[in-house]
Amino acid sequence: MNVIKTTPPKGGWGVFFLLILLAACSGHPSLPSSYTQMNTEPSIWPDYVGVTIPPNIAPLNFLVDSVDDVVAEISMVNGQWSMTYGGKGGRVQIDESEWHEMLASARGKSLSVTVYTKKDGKWRAYKPFNINIAAEEIDPFVSYRVLPPTFVGFDELSIRQRNLTNYDETIIYNNNQITEGIEGQCINCHSYQNYSTDNMMFHMRLQHPGTMIVSDGELIFVNLKTDEMISPAAYNSWHPSLPIIAFSTDHTMQSFHTREITKVEVMESASDLIIYDVKNNRVQTVLSDSAEFELFPSWSPDGKWLYYCSAHYEYRDKYEDTEELLAKYKTLQYNLYRISFDSGTMTFGEPELIYDAVGKNRSAVQPRVSRDGRYVVFAEGPWGLFHIWHISADIQILDLQTGELLDASAINSSLPESYPSFSSNERWILFESRRDDGNYTRTYFAYFDREGRLHKPFQVPAEDPEFFRLYLRSWSRPELMKEPVHITPRQFYEKALTEPVKVAGVSLSE
Amino acid sequence: MGTSVGKILKYAYCLAFIVLAWFFLYVRNADTMFFLQDRGWWNSTSLFWNDCMTVPGGLLAWTGAYLTQFFYYPALGSSLLIGLWILTFWLAKWSFRIVDEWSFLLFVPMAALLCSDIQLGYWVYILKDVDYVFYHPLGLFAALLLSVPFWTYLPVGEKIQQRIALAWIPIVAALFYYPLGVYALLAAVIVAVQTLSNSPVKGRNSGQKASLLRGGLVGSVLLLTLWLVPLLETAGTTLMRPDQPWMYGFRRFELDALHDISLEIPFYLVLIVPVIFPLLGRLKAQRLLLSQSIMVITAVAMYYCLSARDFTDYNFHAEMRMQRGVEECRWNDVLREAAKVKGPVTREMVMLRDIALINRGELCSKRYAYNNESVQPTTVSDSIHLRICDQAADLIYFNFGETVFAIRRAIERCMHYGYSYYTMRMLTQCALVNGEMDNARKYLRILGRTTFQKKWAEKIQCFVDDERLMAESELFRMPLKLYNEGSELVGTDDKYVELTILKKWMYTITNDSEAQEVALGCAMMMRDQKCFWSQVQQYYNINQGKPFPTHVQEAMLFFVYELKFPGVNLSYVKFDDRVVERYKAFFNRLNQYSGKGMNEKQIGSALRPEFGDTYMWDYCVLREVQTN
Repeated sequence: MNVIKTTPPKGGWGVFFLLILLAACSGHPSLPSSYTQMNTEPSIWPDYVGVTIPPNIAPLNFLVDSVDDVVAEISMVNGQWSMTYGGKGGRVQIDESEWHEMLASARGKSLSVTVYTKKDGKWRAYKPFNINIAAEEIDPFVSYRVLPPTFVGFDELSIRQRNLTNYDETIIYNNNQITEGIEGQCINCHSYQNYSTDNMMFHMRLQHPGTMIVSDGELIFVNLKTDEMISPAAYNSWHPSLPIIAFSTDHTMQSFHTREITKVEVMESASDLIIYDVKNNRVQTVLSDSAEFELFPSWSPDGKWLYYCSAHYEYRDKYEDTEELLAKYKTLQYNLYRISFDSGTMTFGEPELIYDAVGKNRSAVQPRVSRDGRYVVFAEGPWGLFHIWHISADIQILDLQTGELLDASAINSSLPESYPSFSSNERWILFESRRDDGNYTRTYFAYFDREGRLHKPFQVPAEDPEFFRLYLRSWSRPELMKEPVHITPRQFYEKALTEPVKVAGVSLSE
Repeated sequence: MGTSVGKILKYAYCLAFIVLAWFFLYVRNADTMFFLQDRGWWNSTSLFWNDCMTVPGGLLAWTGAYLTQFFYYPALGSSLLIGLWILTFWLAKWSFRIVDEWSFLLFVPMAALLCSDIQLGYWVYILKDVDYVFYHPLGLFAALLLSVPFWTYLPVGEKIQQRIALAWIPIVAALFYYPLGVYALLAAVIVAVQTLSNSPVKGRNSGQKASLLRGGLVGSVLLLTLWLVPLLETAGTTLMRPDQPWMYGFRRFELDALHDISLEIPFYLVLIVPVIFPLLGRLKAQRLLLSQSIMVITAVAMYYCLSARDFTDYNFHAEMRMQRGVEECRWNDVLREAAKVKGPVTREMVMLRDIALINRGELCSKRYAYNNESVQPTTVSDSIHLRICDQAADLIYFNFGETVFAIRRAIERCMHYGYSYYTMRMLTQCALVNGEMDNARKYLRILGRTTFQKKWAEKIQCFVDDERLMAESELFRMPLKLYNEGSELVGTDDKYVELTILKKWMYTITNDSEAQEVALGCAMMMRDQKCFWSQVQQYYNINQGKPFPTHVQEAMLFFVYELKFPGVNLSYVKFDDRVVERYKAFFNRLNQYSGKGMNEKQIGSALRPEFGDTYMWDYCVLREVQTN
C-alpha cells in the first residue's frame, strides 16, 4: 500500500484514517521509484479520462494494453491523499469499499489519476487525468436485455438487472427457463413506472406469448391483442401516477442490406397508439391514422402529455404494401409530437409537432422527457426507427423552452447511439451505443448538469475491465431503476405457463 | 485358467479396442472429428469459464471443450480420446476387480461413446455442445473415479466401511453435481450398487432379512439423493427448464418436433452399463471357453454396431472436406474433391466448387465439366433436413462478397448452436471486408485466447494493421472484389442461399472482369436469357478481343439457334471450332435418340458420356435449377 500524501481530507479524519487502515490491510502496489515522464495522458480501456461520474457508481476499473505492469495513483485533486492500485495483465482494479470512501470524500470535486506503466523493465508515468465526481447520484439499478447481436433468433435471451453501485448482476427473466426447440421466446420492452419496480412490465413473444405486468406488486399475464388492434401491444410507457400504460401497436418488418454495414433495416409498415388501463383491463385507442405511423409513446413526468414520434406515409394503392415501403425505406422519417391528456376524462387533445426532424432530412425517435418537463432526449438518425443500426445515429436533446437542440456532441460518437433516457433526478442520461466496436451494444451514462451541458460519457463499469471487450452479447434497451425487481424469475416462469388474460374491453377513440 | 493367459488377454483386449477406435475415429472419420472441433469453442477467458460453470456439468463442459480442441490434429485428438478410454478401462478393471478374462466387457460404454461420435451425420451442424467429443468420456471417467470404493482401503472395521459407503452416495452427488451434472448422479448409483454387491451374503451378518433391510436402506438413500440433489442445487437457477435438472448433461437429440432416440442410445448405454460393472466383479476366471466366447460375441457385435452406425455418406464427408478446402483457399483440392464424386451432389457442394472455379477464373469455362446433378443431403434416419443456410451459408456468402448476409447467418447460428472457432473466423473475415476493424480486433483478441486458433489470429492481424494487404491475399481478394462490385440491395434470403446469390449477381453489371464473369455465370445458371445477353454484352465491352469462355459460347449457340432468342447478331463472335462441332453433334445425337423413341431420361443418360460437360446437356437434361 502507498499513501503518498498525508494531509487529511476535508471529509474528516475518519475518512482519512479509514483509507489508511483499508490501504494497510490490502495489497496496494508501490509506485516506481524511477520512471520516464510522458507528456500525454494514458490510453486506457474503457476510456474514463475526464469523465464525470455519479458519487455512487461502482469502481471504474480499467486496463492498459500491451504493458507488463501498471500502477495507478488515485488522489484528490488538491493532493490531500492518494491511493495506488494495480492488477493482473495491465489491469487496474480498485477496491470497492475504498473507492466508495474516495467518492464520498470527493463528491462534487475531482479525483486525479496518474498511470504508471512498465514495459520491458522500464517505467513510464503519464500525465494525470481527472475523474469528476458529480454531486448528484444516479439511480442505483439498471436493467437491460442481454442477447447476441442477433437478427431473428431468440434462443438465448434474458432481461437482467445490475446494481450500479457494485458489480452485482441478477436475472429478471431468462427465456432458457421456458424455451423448447430453436424458435425460442422473445422477451422485450421492459419498462417501469417512475423507476420503481412494483409497477413494471415486459412482453413475451413466440412461445408463451403475452405481456407480464406487475401491478402494485401483483403479477398478471395479459394478452394485449384485440381484433381492433393491428398487432399485440409493443413499445410502451407507464403513466407516472395512474395505472395506465401507453403502447404502440405496429407491423414490424426487418430486411437486410447486402453491402451497407448498417446491416439491418427495421421498418414499421403500420402503427397506432393505444393506452391500456391495467386495473380495469381495458384498451383505448389514442391515435390510429393510417397515414401516420405513430410510435414510441412516452409520458411526461407530470402525466399531462404523451410524447411520441410519427412518420407520415401514404401507400400508393391504399393498402399496406410492404414491398412498396421496402423500396422507399429511406423516406420513412419520424418527427416528434406530443398530445395532451386529461386524466379526469381520459381524453386526449390534438397532436402537436414539437420537433421537425423530417425538415432536416432526419428521423427522430424514442423521446423521453426530463423530470422538470423542459427537455426531451431522443435518438436521431437518417431514417427509420431502429437507430442502433444506423451509423450516423446520435442522441439529441431538445429544449422545449427555446425549441432548440442542445449541443450533444460531447456524448455522441461516429458509431450508433440510441435509446436514451433520463435518470429520475434528470442529472444523468443513459443511452446505448456501439462505439466500442460497431457491433455490440453497450450502456453509457453521461452527466447532464444544471446548466444544460452534457459531459463526456462513461461505460457502465465492469469488475474485469476487459469484460465488455470480450463479451459476445449486447446489452440493449437499458432502463434505470430505483430498486431491483422483486418478482423472481421463477414467478415469471410459472405465470408464463398460464393462459394470458384477454382484454376485457375496448374503447375506440373519439 | 492360467494367470498368464489372462494377462495376455487384457492387453489383447486393449489392443483390439485401440485398433477398433483408431479405425473408426481416425481412418474413417478424421474429417468429421476435425469438423466437430472446429464447431467447438474454448478460450482461456474467465468469461468462458463462468459461462460453463453456471450450469450442472460445467467442469466437464469446460474440460471437454478444452480437450475437443485437440482434434484440430485428428490424430492427436484421437490418441487423447483413446488414451482416456484405455485409462477408463484400467480404472474400472481395478476399481471393480474385474478378472482379465471378462474385462473386454468394460469397453462396452466406451464403444457406445465411440459410436456417438461417428453416427451423427448432419447433426454435426446443429449440435449445441461445443464440448461434445470429450464431455461424455470425461463424465464416464469421473463417475468411475468417484465410485472407487476407497472405504475398503481404510483401516476401519467393516461396519464403519459400510456406513462410509452409504454416506458417500449423497455426498458424491451433492459435491459433484454442479461440476459433473448427470455423471455425478451416475457415480452415486454405481456406489450404491457397489455397496450392495459387496455386502456380505454369507457370514455372521447374513440373513435374508438383513440383506433386505440393507437393500432398502441403500435404495432409499439413493432415490432421495437422485431426487433431491438436482432439485435443491438448481432451485435458484434461471438457466434451465425446471424439468431438466435430473438429466442435465445427458445428450438429447431434439430439434423442435423431431426427436431421434436412436442417436441417444449410446448415452443410455453409458449411463446404464457402468452400473453393472460392480456385479462383473463376481464373475470368475474358471470358464475360459465361455468367457472368451462371450468376449468374441461382444467384439463382433461391437464392430457390427459401429459399422452400421458409422455415417459413411460420401457427400457428407466430401462437403466437410470441401468447406475446409474453401476456407483454406485450396482451390485445386476442392475441385479434385468435386471431380471425384460419382453420384449426384448436394447444392452446397455445387456452390463450394463454384467458389473454387471463381477463384481460378474458370466459372464460365469449366463449370459444366463437373457434375451438377443434385440431391438433398442424406440424413440419419431422415431425422433432420438441413439446408445450406444451416450448414455453411456464411462461408458461401462470404466468398461471394455477401458479408452482411454471412454475418447474419453466422450470428443466427451462434444464437442457436453457440459460438465456434469457425464462426469466429468467419465473423472476423466479414468484419475485415466490411472495414469494421474494431470489430475484427475484438474477434481476433478472443481467438488469441484459444489454443490452436491463435496462429490464425496472428496471421490475420496484418490485415487489421494494413487493410490494403487484403486485395493481394488469396483469402480476401475475391470476396473483397465481389463485395465492392456487388450492388447494394435491401431484402432477405428467406433461407435460400443459392437463389439469393444467383439472383443478385445475374442482374449485377460491373466493369471488373473477374466479377463480371461471376455475373455472367450466374445468369447462365439461372437460365435467364435476357440477363445472359446483357452480361454477354458487358463481357464484350470490358474484354475487347478476348474470346468468350467455352460455356458462354455453348450458351450463345444454344439460345440463338435452338431456343430462337430474337434480335441477337452472332456474326461478331469468334466461336471455337470445337465448340461449334460439339454443339452440332449434340443436337444430331439428340434428334437421333429422340427418333428412336427414347424418353428424356434415357436420352440424357445416353448423351452424358459424350456431352455431359456441356451447357446444352446441363440445360436440357437437368432442366430446372435446384436450390436448397
